[in-house]
Amino acid sequence: MTRIAYRRPEQMTERARELTLERGNLNVYRAVANAEKVYTGWMEAGSAALNSPVLPVRLRELVVLRTAYLMDCRYELGQHNDIAPTAGVTGHEIKALTSESGWEQIDLSDTERAVVGLTSELLTTRSVSAALFDEVHKVLGSEATIEVLMVIGRYAGLALMLNALDVDLDESDRLTLPGASR
Amino acid sequence: MSRMPLTTVDQQSEPIREFMARRGELNLFRLLAHAPAVFGGWAQMIDQILDSPTFTPRMRELIILRVAHLQGTPYELSQHMELARSAGLTERQIDAIIDAGDHEAAGLSQTERVVLDAVTELCTTRHLREESFATVHAALGDEALTELLMIVSCYYGLALVLNAVELDIDTTSRLQV
Repeated sequence: MTRIAYRRPEQMTERARELTLERGNLNVYRAVANAEKVYTGWMEAGSAALNSPVLPVRLRELVVLRTAYLMDCRYELGQHNDIAPTAGVTGHEIKALTSESGWEQIDLSDTERAVVGLTSELLTTRSVSAALFDEVHKVLGSEATIEVLMVIGRYAGLALMLNALDVDLDESDRLTLPGASR
Repeated sequence: MSRMPLTTVDQQSEPIREFMARRGELNLFRLLAHAPAVFGGWAQMIDQILDSPTFTPRMRELIILRVAHLQGTPYELSQHMELARSAGLTERQIDAIIDAGDHEAAGLSQTERVVLDAVTELCTTRHLREESFATVHAALGDEALTELLMIVSCYYGLALVLNAVELDIDTTSRLQV
């Protein structure tokens, strides 16, 4: 049960309301909107990340699912379990990515395998071996490498907020990914 | 040694150069500028966190130092150590924050100790127990508690980026707050 009261859109400033409704009136936004002095900046950062064309949506969802699992975040897992298929991630892949080491057995591209490996290592040890970092940097280049790291950082940080506030998963509302197909 | 090259400031777009002119030409910003599609949104988030009047600079720096220490991130520690000093934290208090020394003996307030305990539990276990949440919620209320979580979230995530890249500590550039 969510531990604080939700902010309703009509209680928000105009920009906060706009950003919230643009993304869907999800419990995560209504909870985090309590931090009204920093909420719009955080939402702008999220919009930029979601709308950036740099990372393939499928790769991004693989990173998010892996991060949600390793951060033990029920809310992120609940949302992205339904969002990931719209980005071309199969149910079998979701199951593997949200288990301890099942992802090592599934058929991912070399790039996806390296990126998921980096995500796993970073979140379990707080660092990455030089060889793995260089492999990811080489295949993705600097721009996409930074975006991958920022996706990990954003969802790991968000997981802490969601876990601390124990935000309930929305009954049926799900985030719609720009660039994904339903 | 950083695992990635850094961008040069004068090759950046006007908004990114404007941000660096205000906040400092930090290695971190020169690193993140590799990703211009997301830099602007991220910079807005940082601006709001640093400019918000909800917490004193002293409380904000206490939170950031604790997160940086728990994440093992020398870059964040080096930038925020000086900010913590100028925000009024003593050497003894800083030592207590980063070494989990005796917070009470160092003269940290009751609220500061409650905040440190919550940050520690959240960053090390990824959750807050019901009673821990109730304690920090009672001390801060809805808005400040959520803003505390936002600061933790932001610096915890940033620490992961910094640890992955092993970014070099700035020799002279300092974050302007």
